[in-house]
Formats: sequence, C-alpha cells, structure tokens
Amino acid sequence: MDDRRRRFEALVLPHLDAAYRLARWLSRSPGDADDVVQEAILRAYRGFDALRGTDVKAWLLTIVRNCHWTALKQQQRRAHVPLPEEHDVPALIATTPEPESASIRRDEERTFDRLLSALPEEQREILVLREIEEMDYRAIAAIVNVPIGTVMSRLARARAALRARWLQEAQGEPHAVR
Amino acid sequence: MPCGESLRVQAYFDGELDALNAAEVERHAEACPECRALLEDLQQLRTALQTGVGPAGAPPALRARILRTLDSEVPAAGPDRNAERLRDWRSRPFWKGALSGIAGTAIAAGIAFLVLGPPLADPLVEDLVNAQVRSLMPNHLIEVVSTDKHTVKPWFAGRTDVSPVVADFAQQGYRLVGGRADYLEHQRAAVVVYEHGPHVINVFSWAATRGGLPKNTTRNGYHLAFWRTGNLVYCAVSDTGWDELKGLVRLLQDLGVGDGRPAME
Repeated sequence: MDDRRRRFEALVLPHLDAAYRLARWLSRSPGDADDVVQEAILRAYRGFDALRGTDVKAWLLTIVRNCHWTALKQQQRRAHVPLPEEHDVPALIATTPEPESASIRRDEERTFDRLLSALPEEQREILVLREIEEMDYRAIAAIVNVPIGTVMSRLARARAALRARWLQEAQGEPHAVR
Repeated sequence: MPCGESLRVQAYFDGELDALNAAEVERHAEACPECRALLEDLQQLRTALQTGVGPAGAPPALRARILRTLDSEVPAAGPDRNAERLRDWRSRPFWKGALSGIAGTAIAAGIAFLVLGPPLADPLVEDLVNAQVRSLMPNHLIEVVSTDKHTVKPWFAGRTDVSPVVADFAQQGYRLVGGRADYLEHQRAAVVVYEHGPHVINVFSWAATRGGLPKNTTRNGYHLAFWRTGNLVYCAVSDTGWDELKGLVRLLQDLGVGDGRPAME
C-alpha cells in the first residue's frame, strides 16, 4: 500500500461512519446512502492531495452532502417525479414488530428515528450534524453553506419542532405499561 | 413568545460561548424560569438523540466495497482535475461565502459573542488557541483555584511534566487565579491562569522540543506571545491588548531566570 493510501486511510476513513450516518439521514434509504458514501469517499481520495484544512471530518461531510444533492438531482431528472412529501416518508428503520420483551427504551429509540425522519431535510440535517456528529457552529455553517446566524436559528427551530412532535406523540399514544 | 435570550442560551448549551458570555447566561438563567426550562429541554432532547437513533455506522460490506474501489484507483499522475477542484477547499467560493457570511451576520445579528476564527496553520498555535477557547468554556478554566503561588506551584508536580514560574502580580494588575494541566506538543503542559481586568490570560509552559520559537501572533482575536526561559517554552494567550499581555510577559521573564526547569528527570 503506498504512502498516500495509508495517509488517506489514517486521516479520512476514521470518519466513514460519520459520513454514512449523514448520508443515511439525508437520503433516508440504505441503498442510496451506500452509493452516496462510496462516491464521496472516491472524490475525497482524488482530492486528498490538495486537502489543506485541518478539520477532515467537516471536509468529508461537505463532500457527502454535495454528493447527496448531486444524486438527488439526477434521480429527479431521471424519474420526473416530485420529491416525497416530508410527512409521509417511512421511518429510517423499518418498523417491524418488536418482541414482547422489547424495552420501553427501544420504543423510545424507534420513536426518535421516526420523528427525526419526518422533519424537513434542513432541520434533520442540522440536528444530525449538531447532536449526533457533534460539529460546532462554525463547521456546520461551512458544511451547510449558510451564515452562522442561520445555523443558530435553524437549529433552534429544528429542536423546537422535534420536541413538539415528541410531546404530541407522548400525549397521543401513551406507552403501554408492561 | 420566547425569551430574547433563547438563542444565547442555546449557544451556551452548545459550548459556543466565551467565559464572560457564559457567566452572563448562567446568571440570566437563574432568574429566568423559561430559560432554565429551555436548558432542561435541550438536554433531554440531546440525550434522546444521542442514545441510539439511526445507524451506528457504515455496514462492513460497504466498507469493504469502498476499500476495493480505492484499490482500483490509479494514483493520479500529475495534478488531476478533481484535485484541482478540491484544492484548498476552504478557499472555494461556497466556503468563502459561508465564512464571510459568518462575519457579516455575527455583527448584524449581534451574535458576536460566538467564539469564531479562520483556520490556523501552525498546529502548535492552533492547539494553543483551542486550549484557550476550551479554557473559557464553563468549568474548564481552572483546576486548582488559588491566588497563592505556594498552592499553585506544588499542584503542578505530578500533574504536568514541567514546573513553571508561578507568581502573583496583583499589584501590577495581573491577579493569579489558579492553574490547570493541558496537553501540548505531546506533553502535559502547565497552565497558570491570570486575570487582568475582565480578561483571562493563560500562560502555557512546556519543555522545549524544537529549536525555534513560533513568532508572536494573533489568531481568532487572541494574542499569543512566546518566550523561552531555560528549557521551558512559555506562551501567554489572551484577548487583552498587546501592551497588557507583554506587561505580564516582562514580569514573568524577570522572575523566570533560574526558576524554569523541567520538573522530572
């Protein structure tokens, strides 16, 4: 293995999981996420020699996001169908019946998967970047390509929206006591 | 109608505030039930999101497929087009747009309280600025709280690899408030913390491992002044003016002769 490849594997591949999570939350489809991540890693590898920045994770996530948008546009052009409505997309994880022994905690997790999946893309994306990938505002602003003030207001809206749905859910369908 | 401080409370929660703003938010939250509730909500939501939504990571099959794809990539001979396009990604227009937008919006929306700055070049300088920024977040500044050099100095023994000069210069306007350990240049560096008016000055010290000293520089609004005494490299970091910072540097240099030595043999 040459030196370049070794450096790439040491610096960039540790962020493969983050790249996959972002792609998965953006595309909400495992198959699409695979393709997006593979394309992103390939682009990152080709452009790796020129990488000067220090935040490799933010750099890679920016590429993932660009690849996602490129793929989405191609899909739309090919299919001539509008994007699915934000509200009737399936949850990220299929809701197969859980065994009786499943804990309430497991239910909670699935609830959050579904609630997060149902948020508009820009809110979903910013929550994933902040809460799951733990990026700071500056990195998020760079990845999403918006001013930092927008990051803050969008993040506040996204959190409020997710919380509102969560409360709604909790009131509408109380957990069965087992 | 949400409290007017809610965005700043959120920034506090996300660890984006400097020490002064963080302290203000903490004071505000004590008096504002709405913001206290907001902090609780934010924490609840974070816990829920971080305890296992979505996939944990890339499936092994995908990882394997990617490695195979990389195997078949022929190393680019000479500058390739993709490399050109990605060259110095931070200077690409979209990136520049985001950064200039940051500055503009920060001023326009009055959110200049955020800790911001351009990317840094020298990894040491970057580490120092990061350590400074981290130190200004809640509860990170000081591990040993003392205005007594006889308390601070022994505290470093065993916790850091060096024994720096520690002194209180309250009469000259630089109040010793404590110390902590940090990690720099692969060593456990000592940090002595001073207050000068409303400003915090961190004085880092570590054993010299390379020949030259970095040049004094200003990054992210923080001045960094380097000097060397014996085997120790010192760096004073603060958002005070240069004159104030150099005042402390001179006081420490005057004291430091013969005192700065590696603590461990």
